[in-house]
Amino acid sequence: MLFNEIYGKYFSVVADVLKEAVNGTLSGPKIADIVREKAFAESVLNIPAALKSGEWPLLLPDMTTKIQNAPTMPLTTLQKRWMKALLSDPRVKLFSPSVEGLEDVEPLYTQDSFTYFDRYADGDPYDDPAYIEHFHTILTALRENRKLSVKSEGLRKTVHKWICIPHRMEYSEKDDKFRLIAMAKHIRLTVNIARVSKCSLADPWTPDERQALNRRDDTLVLELIDERNALERTMLHFSHLEKETERMEDNRYRVTLRYQRDDETELLIRVLSFGPLIRVISPERFIEKIRERLNKQMSCGL
Amino acid sequence: MPYSELIKNFERIRDYIRDFYVYGFKTREEYDTKSARSYDNERRRIESWLGDYMFFRQVAEGRNVFLSMDSRSVSLNPLYSAFLSKSFTALDITLHFIILDALSGDKQLSVRELTECIEADYLSAFDNPPVMDESTLRKKLKEYESLGLLKSAKRGKELIYGRTDSEAESIDLKSWRDALAFYSEIDPLGVVGSYLLNKLESIPDYYSFKHHYILHALESEILYALLLAMGEHRDVELSMFRPHRNKASQTVLPLKIHVSAQGGRRYLMAFSRRFKKIELFRLDFIRSVKPLEPEPEYEKYAERAERFLKNLWGASAGTRRLTGNAEHIEMTVRVDDGEEHIPMRLEREKRCGRVEIIDKHTYKFVADVYDASEMLPWLRTFIGRIISLSCGNPRVTEVFYADIAAMNEMYGGDKVALQ
Repeated sequence: MLFNEIYGKYFSVVADVLKEAVNGTLSGPKIADIVREKAFAESVLNIPAALKSGEWPLLLPDMTTKIQNAPTMPLTTLQKRWMKALLSDPRVKLFSPSVEGLEDVEPLYTQDSFTYFDRYADGDPYDDPAYIEHFHTILTALRENRKLSVKSEGLRKTVHKWICIPHRMEYSEKDDKFRLIAMAKHIRLTVNIARVSKCSLADPWTPDERQALNRRDDTLVLELIDERNALERTMLHFSHLEKETERMEDNRYRVTLRYQRDDETELLIRVLSFGPLIRVISPERFIEKIRERLNKQMSCGL
Repeated sequence: MPYSELIKNFERIRDYIRDFYVYGFKTREEYDTKSARSYDNERRRIESWLGDYMFFRQVAEGRNVFLSMDSRSVSLNPLYSAFLSKSFTALDITLHFIILDALSGDKQLSVRELTECIEADYLSAFDNPPVMDESTLRKKLKEYESLGLLKSAKRGKELIYGRTDSEAESIDLKSWRDALAFYSEIDPLGVVGSYLLNKLESIPDYYSFKHHYILHALESEILYALLLAMGEHRDVELSMFRPHRNKASQTVLPLKIHVSAQGGRRYLMAFSRRFKKIELFRLDFIRSVKPLEPEPEYEKYAERAERFLKNLWGASAGTRRLTGNAEHIEMTVRVDDGEEHIPMRLEREKRCGRVEIIDKHTYKFVADVYDASEMLPWLRTFIGRIISLSCGNPRVTEVFYADIAAMNEMYGGDKVALQ
């Protein structure tokens, strides 16, 4: 069963409380601290009381327990079957997990159980040894707080070289690509891992050197009329962005989306895909780009 | 029933979270299928789990509650919190810790031995311990065996139980740390990965995910039931939130999960027993899945699904059964100097179509699909470059031209409002 209390917050928090009790380091205030830190917002009203009152007879009034060992739980069949299924994913080589202990486990599904019908066909080369090596180097830098020396090739064969501080490894489900997000001096870099031609670890970075990722965000305001199922399609399509929706009239809505300026062209294409079902209200720069496309279309003589 | 932040089943809360996250413009009164008290309880629970992402807006009609986040900026799907909220009894939690402790260190005990051990070593120190007999314990042990936490073996006439994590069976979870952080977000059943991540001391926070539809988490139970049925080649009875072809439930043979990485929709591709053909069902419209009998000729249907995919652009089979044919479509685009990304786009986005090079500046996209009208959104993304468009279904080109005209009117500088 997927939705089961054994995976739940209450069980894991009580395990942490009992661990302290087994170690002989538990106190009343500590229970409350653990619950506040690790459970849901209102759990503090329930868990300490149930433990202290003996409703859950696991803790004695002196904060000791009859439990002998710090609580642990074996992996469930569901967890093992899920892990086994991952081993047939082409991307799993990038993470080198140990297959030990899963030899006799039946995978939960096979790769052909799924089709990703609109995923781009030029995804990253997950079998390429050079790609795997670069990926491992970047992961090591992220784990060990090291700088990276990166050489990559642009779309028009331009070669770029940086010493950078890696911040994130970003994956796009639509593009099926990994990108390194990093800072080189004051410049924010987005480097497709597949375009990296050389990559090596450099010195550890110091907290003074690591600057926050500068992000240029913008706001797109749209209006839509709920025809041809436009409302449901728009809401779901853009649901991964920060957004706010207001109902103007019965079937007219205003949607405000926050997006990264770097993604503006992609967002423009996505907005165009809705045609006249959505209308951009602002920013003017975005509207002007739509006008340019429409004017260019007029010149195509269609 | 007094309010509790824990819940017995996921179905109702799934509906609320979806409304708050996807729409977020309804007022309390509009949740008309449920009582006001039910609304208040569900909102309070969701706030308890997802308070950091919950916002309120006052409008004339009342107060809107909505969930909002840029999924690119979170490395662990916040909606997984809802899966950590299953309710339980006092005996459930008590037995959980005591059984796993009593059987630690590769110890194996019979039900009788375990009952005695629990009473003598664990519960006797408490004034009013819960009532626990052998049959209650036997039921719990069976449940834990089916979950994979315990295993049983025969010792003489008795059944003895032990934990499944003996040294010989151990799995090095630390070596899975990065894989778990990645797949807990990317895998369609990533919630299982989130359960595993909870076992680790620390979780990598350097992954981020673009175009990431975290809402899919809400359908995890449905997907899990479908994957089990697919693995066992079983028919299932689908109960739908929204009737499919006027039927609230249907018997189908599940064949594939058909996922849109761009639109946020996921479908079950299945053979409908009623209509005797392959159909697609939105996962988010499925309320529950009941396993039925196995189909001995499953492979035959699986092959049929593969053939079906050859002319499927998205998720619509259109009217091919009326016309007997797929719809032929051709689009020619102009590529200016410096626009090498356009042919690249055509190649990577062509799906079941193909691309022909007419000359250095002209490329033709050709496809035969069941329902060309579902290509319209994609065709519009080439606005500005299309020099010809033809389709066996004239309605498709009519709609396309009408949409261009409407957009010209909309953005052409006049004051006409959205019509």
